[in-house]
Amino acid sequence: MRKLFLFAMLLAMSHLSTQAGGYQVRLQSSRSTGMGLTGTGLQLGASSMFFNPGALSMMETKTDFSIGASGIISKISFQKTGQNLVSETNNKLSTPFYVYGAGKIGEKWAVGLAIYTPYGSSAEWESGWEGRLLIQNIALQAIFFQPTVSYQLTDKLGIGAGLVYTSGSVKLEKGLNYGPDSYVELDGSASSLGFNLGAFYTASEKLSIGVNYRSKIMMDVSGGDAKFHVPVSVGTTIPTENKFSASLPLPGNLDFGVSYQATEKLLLAAEVNWVMWGVYETLEFTFEEKGELLNSKSPREYKDTFIPRIGAEYTLNDMFTFRAGAYYDQSPTNEDYFTPETVSLDNLAFTLGVGFHPTERLSIDLSYLQISGLEAKKNYQPDNFGGTYKNAAFIPSFGLSYRF
Amino acid sequence: MKYKFLISAVLLGGLWSCQPEINEFEPSKGNADFTTYMTAGNSLTAGYADNALYKSAQENSFSKMLAEQMEFVGRQGSFKIPYINTEDGVGTGGGMLFTKLKMGFSTDCLGVTSLGPVRANPNATQQELAVLLGTPVADQGPFHNIGVPGAKVTHLLAPGYGSMNPYYGRFASAAGNAVIDEIALVKPTFFTLWIGNNDVLSYALAGGAADQITPLEGAPGVGFAASLEVVLMSFKATATAGAIANIPNITDIPYFTTVPFNIIALSDQAMVDQLNAGYAEYNGAMQQLGLDYRINFALGANPMVIHDPSILVPPGYEKLQIRQIKADELVLLSLPLDSIKCAYWGSLKPVPGAYVLDEKEITDIDNAVVGYNQAIKAAAEKYELAHVDMNAVLKQGSSGGIVMDGVSFSNTFVTGNAFSTDGVHLTPQGNALAANTFIDAINKKYNASIPKVNVAQYNAVVLP
Repeated sequence: MRKLFLFAMLLAMSHLSTQAGGYQVRLQSSRSTGMGLTGTGLQLGASSMFFNPGALSMMETKTDFSIGASGIISKISFQKTGQNLVSETNNKLSTPFYVYGAGKIGEKWAVGLAIYTPYGSSAEWESGWEGRLLIQNIALQAIFFQPTVSYQLTDKLGIGAGLVYTSGSVKLEKGLNYGPDSYVELDGSASSLGFNLGAFYTASEKLSIGVNYRSKIMMDVSGGDAKFHVPVSVGTTIPTENKFSASLPLPGNLDFGVSYQATEKLLLAAEVNWVMWGVYETLEFTFEEKGELLNSKSPREYKDTFIPRIGAEYTLNDMFTFRAGAYYDQSPTNEDYFTPETVSLDNLAFTLGVGFHPTERLSIDLSYLQISGLEAKKNYQPDNFGGTYKNAAFIPSFGLSYRF
Repeated sequence: MKYKFLISAVLLGGLWSCQPEINEFEPSKGNADFTTYMTAGNSLTAGYADNALYKSAQENSFSKMLAEQMEFVGRQGSFKIPYINTEDGVGTGGGMLFTKLKMGFSTDCLGVTSLGPVRANPNATQQELAVLLGTPVADQGPFHNIGVPGAKVTHLLAPGYGSMNPYYGRFASAAGNAVIDEIALVKPTFFTLWIGNNDVLSYALAGGAADQITPLEGAPGVGFAASLEVVLMSFKATATAGAIANIPNITDIPYFTTVPFNIIALSDQAMVDQLNAGYAEYNGAMQQLGLDYRINFALGANPMVIHDPSILVPPGYEKLQIRQIKADELVLLSLPLDSIKCAYWGSLKPVPGAYVLDEKEITDIDNAVVGYNQAIKAAAEKYELAHVDMNAVLKQGSSGGIVMDGVSFSNTFVTGNAFSTDGVHLTPQGNALAANTFIDAINKKYNASIPKVNVAQYNAVVLP
């Protein structure tokens, strides 16, 4: 039953994957995606509602609408310690998207609404794989709604804030040790509130500096459905239908970014994201019935991570811009508590992008992000399950912006 | 690598096939030659489980798992097992044949239905079981797994042993053969041997009331150590390498640790008073004889009253050869619980000694195991074999427990995952644990890299 906790960890992992580590990243602007997912120190128009609401009041047009989507193709391979066979995941394509609309009110104010999906991971291991008692598959989805307001304090300084409403769901399946057909399905949803604060400072015509803080969000799943597929004789002890609760922290982020217009055509960006994973210490599951048998509490002991990013954008002419970037993303997981639901490895990622501007008002952005997880030996001590993991993700993105 | 990324970036269509590659483990035979693997031993090696020999249990024996893993390091040809043609199985005990045990519901003498081991087919006749067990399969040999349920190390040397033990008789290549005579037919290059459990277990399973412990010293066929050497020399005639496993502490297996000594539960003061009044005469007599034995009952859990013929009483007073069991003495899983519940065994009537291991028996058993394991260790060194410390594995399993791939192993009956419904033999998962223990020892000794088996892919005790 201890493995049930993993469920929670999965959840957490998913966020984690989103923000740091794993195969999922903050794909909240196709332009940003092309530039190594920088954005805190960039003027991204309506997309700044996610990356830095402080920049919104200083956007260059009166109105900006942006939409976009990505396709995450992720793969994980695993070789258990002392074994020659390799297990793989066959993850479904996940498609995070974003929709932004923002407009200026007078000279100093701007307001907008951002809808985005920073968490949407899935992992499906081969059926009957060696880690089936830890996890078989998991899918996490979350959608964020963020009404935002931004105010330009001075010519150079803008500040902004957004209230975040999050609605998320998680579904997972893991094997139970009552034979190959025994497993548990957990299906729950949660909603919660958080906030997003940012300040954007244009130090000179060339140099901009941004700082952004996105709060920790506690996702409290309660009344989730738990279905235990167990032999009939076990069903008298473990109810086949049950309800569960669990709490998963989505960690806070503090981002510092700068951008520098090196030449008329070349824009450079760099930033560091501080992801406060340290809040994720334990994972607890509480079941409505037979809690004394099923409840669990397991250590996770994550640590904060710092993600350095660089990006560049080259403006060829009025029609085309080209982008590239890279980042290094450390795993926040603990050496002794690394589970196959949360395959978050140290990642090195490269991005490419192109912007097409058929008119002054319209931009079409395409980008491509490739993550290659560095091979690493990891162990989940409570289950004595360890081996070598390696991951890779390929993420094409598409974005459309219309401003006037 | 970076170029590869860039190319991939352009060729989006090709990305789906891009699975990250891992090559951390390269199987290697090291200094051993696994071309022809052979294994000898007792019921554990044969794949006996759930109190019977049946086909899928033979398929889930640790020795078959080892044979499969050795294919990665050069094992050739088929690994022949003398399969018995039944899933219900054939077990022996007390001169009777029966089908295997499985988990099922049964109703006790009080009308209470509960889950526990029941016979797969209680209606199977002695005759049909005898036919299943007696059907010869020798023409399918020679066999690579020559594990014989019930065999002691001394038995492996006995010519014509097949006529005494039908589990060998069914696959013996010649009627007059000893089990070790089968070895030369296979000419193994590598072998495993796990033998010696029955040399003490047969005595223990009988509650110390029948059979006897094989002495450590003595000539081949009599003494443990000398017999073991004969078996090893038979293998070493062709095999250049091998592994030998030692014996777990017999008294730590669920067969001896499941039924508590204080199983007599009393909730009625009148019953307590009645019992104490009944035993007043016994207590008085013991006092007169100057013996310390007293029988007292109280509300709650009470130690069983057992028969103990070792109590020295004057002739004619044999009915005084009873006492309450001590906390460190062991009750066998074979104790009929209905007799406790409805026939007043352990309270009004003494439990027969065959269901109990007393302190002396436990000491004898434990000492024998220590001696055998010293002989096994010495033999492993002398013949330069991998030494597989199964004793340490069970010790760990019965103290803190062992966790592997999310499976928790312990010596708890049924739920401990390691032991099958007979409390003695292993589940498929328990066999996987044993196989991995062998692999660890072999890899270490011969600098080999045999890949381990996946514990979670096998079943524990199957529940209805």
